[in-house]
Amino acid sequence: MQQPAENRQTTPAAQPAFLSLRGVTKRYPNGFVAVDDLHIDVPKGSLLGLLGPSGCGKTTTLRMVAGLVPIEEGHLVVDGQELSAAPPHRRDIGLVFQNYALFPHMTVGENVAFGLEMRGVPRSEIRARVDEALEMVRLPGYRDRKPREMSGGQQQRVSLARALVIRPRLLLLDEPLSNLDAKLRDEMRVEIREIQQRLGITSVFVTHDQVEALTMCDVVGVMNKGRLAQLGSPDDIYERPASMFVAEFVGRINKLPCEIVAGDRVRLAGTVCRSAAHDLPEGRGIAAIRPHRIHLTAARDPNLVGNSTNAVKGIVRTVTYIGDIVQYDVEIAEGVLLKIEQHTQGSGLHHNTGDEVLCEWAPRDMLIFGRDDA
Amino acid sequence: MSATQPTVATGKRVPTGLLIAALLLPLALINLVSFIIPVVRLTSISFIQSTGGGVLTDNWTLENYIGFFTDPFSLELIWNSVVMSLVVTVGTLICSYPIALFLHRVSPRWRNILFVMTISPLLVSAVVRTYGWMVLMGDRGVINGLLMNAGIIDSPLRLVNNTLGVYIGLIEILIPYMALSLIAGFGRLERSYEEAAASLGASSFTRFRRVIFPLTLPGVALGCLLCFVLAISSFVTPKLLGGGRVFLLATEIYDQAVIQLEWPSAAATSIVVLVIFGLALAVYGRVSRRLD
Repeated sequence: MQQPAENRQTTPAAQPAFLSLRGVTKRYPNGFVAVDDLHIDVPKGSLLGLLGPSGCGKTTTLRMVAGLVPIEEGHLVVDGQELSAAPPHRRDIGLVFQNYALFPHMTVGENVAFGLEMRGVPRSEIRARVDEALEMVRLPGYRDRKPREMSGGQQQRVSLARALVIRPRLLLLDEPLSNLDAKLRDEMRVEIREIQQRLGITSVFVTHDQVEALTMCDVVGVMNKGRLAQLGSPDDIYERPASMFVAEFVGRINKLPCEIVAGDRVRLAGTVCRSAAHDLPEGRGIAAIRPHRIHLTAARDPNLVGNSTNAVKGIVRTVTYIGDIVQYDVEIAEGVLLKIEQHTQGSGLHHNTGDEVLCEWAPRDMLIFGRDDA
Repeated sequence: MSATQPTVATGKRVPTGLLIAALLLPLALINLVSFIIPVVRLTSISFIQSTGGGVLTDNWTLENYIGFFTDPFSLELIWNSVVMSLVVTVGTLICSYPIALFLHRVSPRWRNILFVMTISPLLVSAVVRTYGWMVLMGDRGVINGLLMNAGIIDSPLRLVNNTLGVYIGLIEILIPYMALSLIAGFGRLERSYEEAAASLGASSFTRFRRVIFPLTLPGVALGCLLCFVLAISSFVTPKLLGGGRVFLLATEIYDQAVIQLEWPSAAATSIVVLVIFGLALAVYGRVSRRLD
């Protein structure tokens, strides 16, 4: 069985925390616990991604950090300063919303200048800093536009400029890419990450999209039902998920019932396989293998395959040609289907329905979870 | 109009222009009978010479207007009416804004019932409510009775039969209209604007001044227009709560038409009020265009 998430935090421990959530909890009067005893440390300059399905408490967590939802239990410490009770306008935090939230009655320049005015920055300096901020988000010369005259991507860039021009201690991004179309989302992902790293600003990024979390963030916290399911680097989360929930949430995965024999051995579809786990207690379990980690070859004697690889025979049931990959459903035992993804090699070089095939995968790609983890 | 044209049962297409005209016809007829014709008639009466005592002649004249504008009392009436209406409008705005903002923010579960409560005074006619205020605010009314019995004051506060009484009565009567207009105009106000302003360092007062209030200006402008027009044309409340000591255009028209039976003068005064309406509308048009 995998170790519990708490003991596996690798990334944050090395450096001192700049942003620290200590036992932060949000209880509603009706008894619903939106955020349950959250402990997260983020080192200076890191981007923390909070990933989870809707209703998992990630946005509530972000709003508590921003001061928009009061923290009644637990502590928020930023740069050694306790901020749990500070009102939002005293927290010095830049906030980017999913719907941009640009003031519609102000021009782009006035929007960006707002935070500087609040800080009593002299007029001449405001002008220069607004221009600088608009330049940073590649919108020079847009100062006199009204937000509604701009596209969604441009509005989100203005909102980023408005949040960053005040040089906040923290940048909080609440699903900033969710209202943009797919192509723009990819572009903005790179741009936000690039600006965040250049300024070295400690940030929290809330998303329900695992690609955004894995590609952009230094540390990812996967949340489920108000709790932190796992906190770790993107690699940790993807390769060594702490639970079946995390494994399923961060990418497609085969979920197969198996019988744990001993040590790292499990019996899957009648074949004994080696897994990534050690010292497994005997009993029933669930094997999880990512579809693209399974290699498909024409059928041959499984005994000829080296001991270092797991090999199971099967019959191709469906073939879905996507272009860059082919998806197969391979029946490895009565009613047990294995989903497999292979990169295409060239025209006509894929397997067909009804073909007998051999599915191979490395032990390290086979994760075993207890039945109750699922 | 969209590309899909409505069709009748026979399958024949009805031309779009004709359809629009047909849909507008009922309202146009009502407007013609109840507004356009009376106003034309009113205008024509205002140019008719009268011999006094309600007898109209067949002679056309400008006398009624000349009489109105050469009388210093008339100019005082205009001044009184405009000032009173402006004060009442601002007072109504101040009283209604918090109600409207609260209704905008309250959870949908409570919003409907509170909304109905806000506009429920409209179920009782302004005349009845005005008498209610007279009972409350009279020299021997509830308020003065309580204060005097408690020993806080020795002689009654003058709350009715003066301008203050008119202000209080009219503001209360107009609150539902203002609240409705404000709520209708609060559509642009989203919580995230306030939250963004807060994160940028704006205190709650600054958030109101720089973000909330400017975003609600369309509703404010609409409510102010409505209340100004309703205030300047009201005569029952000023007449009763003013106790005959508050002189306004509306009460003057009533006196001229009903007591002195001087219909042409009353008509001329009405036209002056209509012109003030037009000016208010023009100001509103300019303001709302600038806000857009």
